[in-house]
Amino acid sequence: MPTLFFPRRYPPLLRVAVFVVLSVLITAYSQKNPRLQGWAGTLSYPVLWINTQIVHIWQDTENYLQDRNALLREDEKLHRELQDLQPRLLEGEILRNENRQLLALLDSIPRPPGRVKVAEVISQNLSPGSQLVTVNIGSQAGVFVGQPVLADGGVAGQVISVSAMSSQVALLSDLDSSVPAQIAGTNIPLLVNGKGNIHQLIVPFQARNTALKQGDRLVTSGLGGRYPPGLNIGTISAVIHNGDEPFAQILVRPAVRLGQLNTVLVLWKETADPQERKP
Amino acid sequence: MMAIALVIGFLLALAAGSLPFGPLYAIIHPDFVALLLLYWAISSSSELSFTVVWLIGLLQDTVLGDVLGGRAVAAVIMIYALYNGLGRVRRLSFWEQLFFIFLLLLGQRLITWFWQAWSGPITWHFSLLIAPLIGALLWPLFTFVLDHLRLLLKGQVS
Repeated sequence: MPTLFFPRRYPPLLRVAVFVVLSVLITAYSQKNPRLQGWAGTLSYPVLWINTQIVHIWQDTENYLQDRNALLREDEKLHRELQDLQPRLLEGEILRNENRQLLALLDSIPRPPGRVKVAEVISQNLSPGSQLVTVNIGSQAGVFVGQPVLADGGVAGQVISVSAMSSQVALLSDLDSSVPAQIAGTNIPLLVNGKGNIHQLIVPFQARNTALKQGDRLVTSGLGGRYPPGLNIGTISAVIHNGDEPFAQILVRPAVRLGQLNTVLVLWKETADPQERKP
Repeated sequence: MMAIALVIGFLLALAAGSLPFGPLYAIIHPDFVALLLLYWAISSSSELSFTVVWLIGLLQDTVLGDVLGGRAVAAVIMIYALYNGLGRVRRLSFWEQLFFIFLLLLGQRLITWFWQAWSGPITWHFSLLIAPLIGALLWPLFTFVLDHLRLLLKGQVS
């Protein structure tokens, strides 16, 4: 192998020390300049391309291996679900119309949460340190840092770095993730934070005598303007009081199955600013 | 030819380490890049360049979206430790050698973890120990397959 930049006449320990210092510098620099992560992401295209091919082959194989009977059973199940949902759909439509009429009276016609674009998950990093996935659309499709990402069931996370053709999404379970929330139907502001566990989120800093209880549904409050209000976050799965600790430990089960994401929806909020509206 | 095979090998190892196959796969899959680096360092006739090792680690950080530099420095220290212990380990039994590989993989994982802990929030979880263990258990199979691939490539070249 070529020696590249460091001739081998230097002792190995000294060479290791040089790389430790280099790593400290690059870590410190990338922490202060998050854009570096996006630019560096461009280098990972060949790997992401291989991932995409493997994922497609895997899905095709899975589909091929599903026998006819399994497909018939699934078809029957979906028909049954559709029949069950028809009355609720009708009921929802009636309520939506009624709601519109009432809001029109108040002169506040609701706006849809925004426009979405479907993206495919092509890579994951689910470790206690990071809960990240990479999707196959980037700045070329108009994706930007901070953009909300939805999935079947509700909010999945937000974009944290963007390169030309891919973007990294921090899931709700990421330790850095924090979403302004409220209990559905109330206006009490809360936060839902990630705790590095794909199956569990937490509501921090709630007093021991909190009114929150198991089964409460949490939705986005819209505070801060990053997430539109009313999107599903999850359901409180446990309220734990530990000894003399001043705060109750409130655990939340995410509405989205964060570990099973194949496709997600990247959301563009409808704004008055045409620059932001443009994808 | 061997250089192309190495590049393809590392691209596949990087891809295998980031496939979106769910939380169970995330816990149990070994660090294929670290395994390939160890195999390359052991089987190569000359000493590996630390610069190349560092750059491969940096690329792994980039692909996974982790803090830049963590896996890079862990890879360099792992290869340095390998070269330091290799002379003595070659005289040891099969299981002792396997234990040495486990220690190297565990060390690499822990250095990465400490690096991430230094640069941001992180939690400890026992699952961090599973991947190095599975990596060490897969090591004999891994070397068997790569030895055969290497012989196959050499045969084609000559």
